[in-house]
Amino acid sequence: MLAARLAAGDDQALEEAFDLLAPAVYGAALYVLGQGSAAQDVVQDVFVELWSHPDRYDPAIGKLRTYLTVLARHRAVDLVRSELRRVARQERHYRLTLGRPDPSPHEEVADAQVASVVRDAVQLLPQEQRHVVELAYFRGLTCRQVAEVAGIPEGTAKSRLRLALAKLEAVLDRHLLEPS
Amino acid sequence: MSGLGGREQAVAPPPDLRARILDASRRDRAPGRPAPDVPDISPVEGFNRSRHAFFVTLSELDNEQWRRPVLRDLAVQGLVGHLTGVEEDMQRGLDGDPEVAQADHVTSTQPAALRQAGRPPAETQAEWGQAAQQTLARVRDAGDLDAVVPVYGLPLPLGMWLVVRAFELWTHENDIRRAAGLPASVPAPATLRLMTDLVAGVLPLATAGAGVEGAISLRLVLTGPGGGTWDVPVGGPDPDALPMRIVTDAVGFCRLAANRAAPADLDLDLTGDPGQAALVLAAATTLGLD
Repeated sequence: MLAARLAAGDDQALEEAFDLLAPAVYGAALYVLGQGSAAQDVVQDVFVELWSHPDRYDPAIGKLRTYLTVLARHRAVDLVRSELRRVARQERHYRLTLGRPDPSPHEEVADAQVASVVRDAVQLLPQEQRHVVELAYFRGLTCRQVAEVAGIPEGTAKSRLRLALAKLEAVLDRHLLEPS
Repeated sequence: MSGLGGREQAVAPPPDLRARILDASRRDRAPGRPAPDVPDISPVEGFNRSRHAFFVTLSELDNEQWRRPVLRDLAVQGLVGHLTGVEEDMQRGLDGDPEVAQADHVTSTQPAALRQAGRPPAETQAEWGQAAQQTLARVRDAGDLDAVVPVYGLPLPLGMWLVVRAFELWTHENDIRRAAGLPASVPAPATLRLMTDLVAGVLPLATAGAGVEGAISLRLVLTGPGGGTWDVPVGGPDPDALPMRIVTDAVGFCRLAANRAAPADLDLDLTGDPGQAALVLAAATTLGLD
């Protein structure tokens, strides 16, 4: 009935949907993004979408809660991917440039924001996997060096990296994470 | 998508987020209108579409179906004659005829109903079709849909009359379809939207003498294509009005307003005082939009 009321333009139904489901939607967005302001933007996107296009939700397929939380995850992942693509483009550009000029204050702020998004995504990994990811991708170590620094066999380092990549796959574009 | 470790948990959003999101949503789509929205059509076009649908239904009937009893003491053919009489009365109303302004709806059209006896159905259909076409041509020429046209004791703006007439044609079309054993028809969403808007607009008049106690702030939510949401002040605007919400299917509510369905026939979702809601629904059946 809530879906039918939304389609009929009953904005009280939207208020009820928000009061009932916003915590789940916000939690889903936080789970991927790990930070408040971006997660709030995702919650807004999700509820505006529900109100403006209620016909995209089909009650016959599943519960409204499921639809909204899945939508929130997708939006959050899109947000992270978009940020990662941007930072990857910047990195490629810097690599192709012989001497990187000093970044402008604006670029420094943008870089810091991107770094924050990447760091937040990686922080969601279990500690052992997070450690090897940080060594391999942020410090640029080879698998052998990662194993030495972490004090684990090289095979274990590789397997932890593989597991970490598998978990990040839905969030991060794998080709953007290839170590140089 | 699988998670990155750990589990998702519900987290209360910041308190100011609710107002921000509700404001943004209402800016993106104004409350009240259905989504997907239906195109606005003029009352003239609404009447024209109902006229066309009625004609198509008549064309499906065989001679035996034309003779079946349908309403009051009328067979299908007599009912179509009655509607020819309504068209003639409307045209007299457009001419400013004072007699038709006070005429009774049934009595005035009875001669047109009776003269169909013994005629071939095709002749009855052609006579009605011509009369409806003449009405259409007259209202297209009239232009001003706000001009008041008094017919049957109801001094209504022409635009409202045309929606009432669209309602009437759809109702009688379905009377005939039921008598003929044909499935019910549903108006096109744009026409239905004109009809639901009319019902919501005149509901306060119907409830005025319905025994509703005190003032009620009724949120009427009519679902499905052509539906919408209206805030209807029952008993007049009152800041202390008790809230009530009625949610039901738009087509079903129109059948209720045409006195072709009872509240018990509708799939209703009610909030507020059930006794008062029953009075409001009973009042809707007295709108007599047939």
